[in-house]
Amino acid sequence: MTRTLLDVAGDALLLAGLLFILAGAVGVLRLPDFYTRLHALGSCDTLGVGLMVVGLAVQQETPQLVLKMLLVLVFVGLANPTAIHALGRAAQKSGLDPWRRPEREGGGA
Amino acid sequence: MRPFLVVILAALALATTLSLYRVLHGPTLFDRLTGIGLLGTKTIVLLLLMGASTGHLDVFLDIALSYGLISFLGFLALAKYFEGRGGGEERR
Repeated sequence: MTRTLLDVAGDALLLAGLLFILAGAVGVLRLPDFYTRLHALGSCDTLGVGLMVVGLAVQQETPQLVLKMLLVLVFVGLANPTAIHALGRAAQKSGLDPWRRPEREGGGA
Repeated sequence: MRPFLVVILAALALATTLSLYRVLHGPTLFDRLTGIGLLGTKTIVLLLLMGASTGHLDVFLDIALSYGLISFLGFLALAKYFEGRGGGEERR
């Protein structure tokens, strides 16, 4: 089995997408409040999933599979930001306040 | 089955397990919903990778598409259901 240039490019795209997804997971674990976590989830996850789907798509040979992969890509790109926006709006309407930097003890400001 | 795909699958499974922590411990209700959304998007990629590594990608693509549709609709329904009902307080 010979490896073409497209296979190598697909593997590189898979790795890049994995990096973004791991960064998003770490952000969701470590950031201080709900809205910042939502930001990590929305941007990193959408980009990571998109990169991985493209990386898998360039390794396929039949055009039908590639077209369906592009369908998945478009769907994720539309659905994920919509869901994140709906969740953020629901949290804001429920009275969840954004995080602020805690004030220092005895600070004048 | 290429070893490279197995490594990527294992790393994705690790990230999914990490996001389960938010579902179990997240202080507010909406943090738990964030964890569920993270699970939903990662499962699509997991399904596609499983299809590519087993050679039945045509089947797994349809599964991934329908799973994505259902999880998106369910997530929207949950977000709409909890909108304006409170739930912002910390609860462990």
